[in-house]
Amino acid sequence: MQIRRKSFLALGGLAASMTVLAACGDDSSSGGTTGGDASDGGGAATGGDSSGRLVIWADEEKAPALEPPATAWGEENGIEVVVEVVPADELQNNFITANQAGNGPDVTMGAHDWIGNLVQNGSIAPVQLPSDVGDTIAPIGIEAVTYDGQTYGVPYAVETLALYANHDLTDAPAPSTFEELISAAEAGGAENILSLPIGEEGDPYHMQPIYTSAGGYLFGKDSEGSLDPSDLGVGEEGSLAAADKIAELGEQGVLKNSINGDNSISLFTEGKSAYLISGPWALADVRDAGFEFTISPIPGFEGMEDAAPFAGVNSFYVASNAANAGFAQQFMTDVASSPDVAKAMYEANPLPPVNLELREEIATSDEHVVIFAEAAEAADPMPAIPAMAAIWGPLGIAQANIVGGADPHSTMEGAGEEIATAIG
Amino acid sequence: MTSTHAPAHRTRSTSVPAVVTRVLVLGITLALTVFIAPVLISQQSWMWLTVLLLAAAGIFVLYSTKRFVPGKYLFPGSFFLAVFLILPIALTVGYSFTNYGDGTRGTKEQAVGSIIASSVQQSPDAPRYAMTVATSGTAAEGPYELFLVDPDAGTVLSGDAENALEEVPAGDVTVVDGRVTEVDGMTVLNAGEVNAIYNELMELAVPVDESTAVRPLGVNQAFVGTTVLQYDEDADTITDTATGEVYTVSVIGDEEYFVDSEGQRAFSQSWLQSVGISNYERLFTNPTVANQFVSAFVWTLVFAAGSVLLTFALGFALALILNDQRLKGRRVYRSILIMPYAIPGFISLLVWSNFYNQEFGLINQTLGLNLNWFGDPTLAQVAVLLTNLWMGFPYMFIVSTGALQAIPDELTEAARMDGASRFQSTSKIVLPLLLVAVAPLLVSSFAFNFNNFNAIELLTGGGPFPDGSGRGSTDILISMVYRIAFGGSGADFGFASAVSVCLFILTGVLAAIQFRFTNVLEDVN
Amino acid sequence: MSTTATARGDAQQRRMPFGRWFSEIGWRHIIGVLAVVFAVFPILFVISASLNPSGSLTSAGLIPTRGVTLDHYAAMLSGERANFLRWYLNTIIVCGVVATGQVFLSLLAAYAFSRFRFRGRRGGMLAVLLIMMFPAILSMIAVYTMIADLGDAVPMLGLNTLAGYIAVLMGGAFGQVWLIKGFFDTIPKSLDEAAIIDGATHWQTFRKILAPSMTPILATTLLLALVGSMSEFLIGSIFLTDDSKKTLAVGMYGMFSSDRSNNLGVFAAGSVMVMVPVIILYQFLQRYIVGGSTAGAVKG
Repeated sequence: MQIRRKSFLALGGLAASMTVLAACGDDSSSGGTTGGDASDGGGAATGGDSSGRLVIWADEEKAPALEPPATAWGEENGIEVVVEVVPADELQNNFITANQAGNGPDVTMGAHDWIGNLVQNGSIAPVQLPSDVGDTIAPIGIEAVTYDGQTYGVPYAVETLALYANHDLTDAPAPSTFEELISAAEAGGAENILSLPIGEEGDPYHMQPIYTSAGGYLFGKDSEGSLDPSDLGVGEEGSLAAADKIAELGEQGVLKNSINGDNSISLFTEGKSAYLISGPWALADVRDAGFEFTISPIPGFEGMEDAAPFAGVNSFYVASNAANAGFAQQFMTDVASSPDVAKAMYEANPLPPVNLELREEIATSDEHVVIFAEAAEAADPMPAIPAMAAIWGPLGIAQANIVGGADPHSTMEGAGEEIATAIG
Repeated sequence: MTSTHAPAHRTRSTSVPAVVTRVLVLGITLALTVFIAPVLISQQSWMWLTVLLLAAAGIFVLYSTKRFVPGKYLFPGSFFLAVFLILPIALTVGYSFTNYGDGTRGTKEQAVGSIIASSVQQSPDAPRYAMTVATSGTAAEGPYELFLVDPDAGTVLSGDAENALEEVPAGDVTVVDGRVTEVDGMTVLNAGEVNAIYNELMELAVPVDESTAVRPLGVNQAFVGTTVLQYDEDADTITDTATGEVYTVSVIGDEEYFVDSEGQRAFSQSWLQSVGISNYERLFTNPTVANQFVSAFVWTLVFAAGSVLLTFALGFALALILNDQRLKGRRVYRSILIMPYAIPGFISLLVWSNFYNQEFGLINQTLGLNLNWFGDPTLAQVAVLLTNLWMGFPYMFIVSTGALQAIPDELTEAARMDGASRFQSTSKIVLPLLLVAVAPLLVSSFAFNFNNFNAIELLTGGGPFPDGSGRGSTDILISMVYRIAFGGSGADFGFASAVSVCLFILTGVLAAIQFRFTNVLEDVN
Repeated sequence: MSTTATARGDAQQRRMPFGRWFSEIGWRHIIGVLAVVFAVFPILFVISASLNPSGSLTSAGLIPTRGVTLDHYAAMLSGERANFLRWYLNTIIVCGVVATGQVFLSLLAAYAFSRFRFRGRRGGMLAVLLIMMFPAILSMIAVYTMIADLGDAVPMLGLNTLAGYIAVLMGGAFGQVWLIKGFFDTIPKSLDEAAIIDGATHWQTFRKILAPSMTPILATTLLLALVGSMSEFLIGSIFLTDDSKKTLAVGMYGMFSSDRSNNLGVFAAGSVMVMVPVIILYQFLQRYIVGGSTAGAVKG
């Protein structure tokens, strides 16, 4: 018993000292965020009365860039602004749930293709862009946040895919066809020809250039030019041709299941792959890698269509149950009309801006970002209709399985049937 | 829950501290109830009010008398169990009879509100005014009046919900930098005050004509907007004032929508409705879904039982091998072998998931293999079990070691004297004794693994998916249901709830069987 | 462990010829070493990744190949990459309260289940097991709505508060009932009967006589509950969105899930800092665990 007592005492001491340690450390590091008490009060505020804090949700990549300009904006306008980090893959769902329960943020950031789902759930309020918004924001940005004739968000950056080439491993830094890409990389003797994330669950977003170049499409357009969920391209002729191409590339080892989102960028930056298909988010890492590289539009297959990657527009949205709707709308108007917030965010995280003034400013200083911005103008905005949600899973899995050696036609047709059932 | 400290005597004397504690606990309960109940009533939070009152009543009944002794010990835990497990389960059962999911999360009222709000269009030619809100009353109560400055003409206009915009005589207001800063005889609201009453202000839009009004936009601007759609509550229709088209409610699939004259869905918003047993029908009558359910169930059993057996077999074997008195460094072995169990699961699983990459993973690279771990259904299942073995064997090892040390040496020695081989003495004497001791642990380990969501989701994500996205080869029931409820292809809580309920019934049956098993053991002891 | 026993062992070994020694003892070391390799290599990987300057998945191995750096630790501790220390503190609070609460409430209930005979006892035990097996994460939406409502009335218990999150996790209050009850059953009833005859109340018997002899099982279940609650991130990631309210699991999962490749270094450094105290705790309580869950059962 004696010994037991002692060890428990010591244990308690250990726990206590750990607590103190952590607490001390916290005091010195919590300058950026609010203290415990303040946020408790805020939690109360979001429930009922609306005094207090404008809460913005963003994923972990964009939140650090957003925090300083948002806080500065809040100081100017007399409201405390808090940026909360929500994991990227749970952000949309958590936002809908929290907003429905009346506990959501005032503003959230997200990709424009969420709009369809956010609208059908009544989660976001329309945003009235200034009538001269065409002078401040690139057309693709406005197009992306317009859904069923209404504008729902304020865009700030546009992302699309391009081809990175490592000069040490290839003589064709900007191949004009996919075939040229393969032969140049083979000649260069790289361990991997192309780093394109697939994994076991697939990645239709990154596969889209290959899929479209071989003739595949997702949804057709109706007479008014808007997407028609009843005209599904998966399982149709074009997609089967694409499936054949994907199978062929899988057999050649150009596409690999072992390359996924976790390792695709680092494979390239560590010189283990001649080419990389990725977006502007990879830019910082690639620059740090220390070799010469070129960014160019993704080539299509010889004699086939052009490769058409998706453009994704990052935007701000106002929650329909925002406790501080006044300030939230104010924030939107200010971000839409002035480049200040976009500029501060660009400096922290260089994504191609949609703000035209900012674009002009960086035109000479950052050629890479400009290439991405131009590529985005030529790309298709990702479809925002809710039916898109049914596409990602089945199509990705089908593509991954085809790369892994499954029968291209029946697999793609199976995915088409599955998607069609899900859309109903 | 300090309430449990209330001593309740079955016998004789009552000590002073005991009485004090009891009075204190009951007093605090009463105070909290009196304090919180009105707030709950004002928030119309009937469910929590019921919880509060029942809990308070429970505490009074149980702890104010000397009776109900077992109840006194069971109540605190049961309270949390009831509120945070049983109540949600009951709500989940309720959801399973609805179409709750993406597009149907709110009420019809909310859906209509969202449709109407989304139809507000900014009049393209109208100016965007610099807005000031002023009141002749108080900032919090109103009444409010909007003072607008036309940025182009520089004229000042004012109006409120009843009075259309009219120009304000120049002397009545002070304009600084194109914005009204002071109004004679009225208080000007600051940005924070405007924000506080924003929703009210939106309803106080200053009418321009029947469907067009000046509305605030943010805290210092206003725009002229037209509400294109109007909802007629009596007829339950939405009318487009621009085209004159009338939208009516109609059922498409399981859900009601507003549809146009051709019966086509006009807006994507729908609302929460009861759908009866259609979620259950879908589960049992759709052959694909039913098949997936059955195959997931089979794999869940294999996974849970396999995990228990493998971890126990390895743990037991190691305990047996390393529990020899003559073995040097036994303690070192034990200290190291316990480590995997001490690492929080989310870390272990995320780390392990990267080991299995066919080309770049640690396992294939180190062992010189080229196994397609996560691409091949069987290998993926092996990988899942292997990882779970790593995470779980230390516990079984420690437990078995403890049990082995408790078995008197004389028992095995006697057997050996009688001519039994080492293997015989182990399998005939040690193992049965040990099994009796660890059986409850095996049962709870099985129950844990049956719902071990993390072990699947963080490792393989359910993949690979050779037959499409419905169910992956390593999906256990809970990870499959989770994907239906929260997955990429749109949340479908109604259906997921129905599956959960069936899953619950299934586990209930299993639990009952296990209970039989443990009950037998209890009788043995 | 008495020193004499070891000394005797040594003497025996020395006298033993190698062949005999190997067949009796030596092979056990081989198995032991293999088991140690199996147990330790993922831990080595994490430590190596935390020291590896590149911090990406493709370059990580069991041994840091490109030199050693403490940058990742510095990044975590300085709050540059994450509010790590705050998460640490929150985790200690949440897991400490939840684990203690769970064990304490389970202990109370186990006492009732083991020592009293009352109507509904068997049914109650079955119900507890059954309900604990409900896939709780599937009722997440329901719990979320409930806590959101509660937060409107009692802000202290709402979303984004540790108290609210703790309350939800306390739904598993009976998680340890079975193990503890099993241990209770092994303590002779004569012990508490004697106390009752001496005039002690059932509470006094429980507190002064029974609870102290439960130390091993309490240590065991406390560790189980602690490590279990440390891994919870699903409910946490929807409940705790305010960065200063996150636990380690919620925060680190969010960080790692966004960009695994590049965050491996900092994630590993964070993991090591989470792992080490828990491993120390385990070493410390090891002998209780060894004796804890089963010793009584076999003896009985």
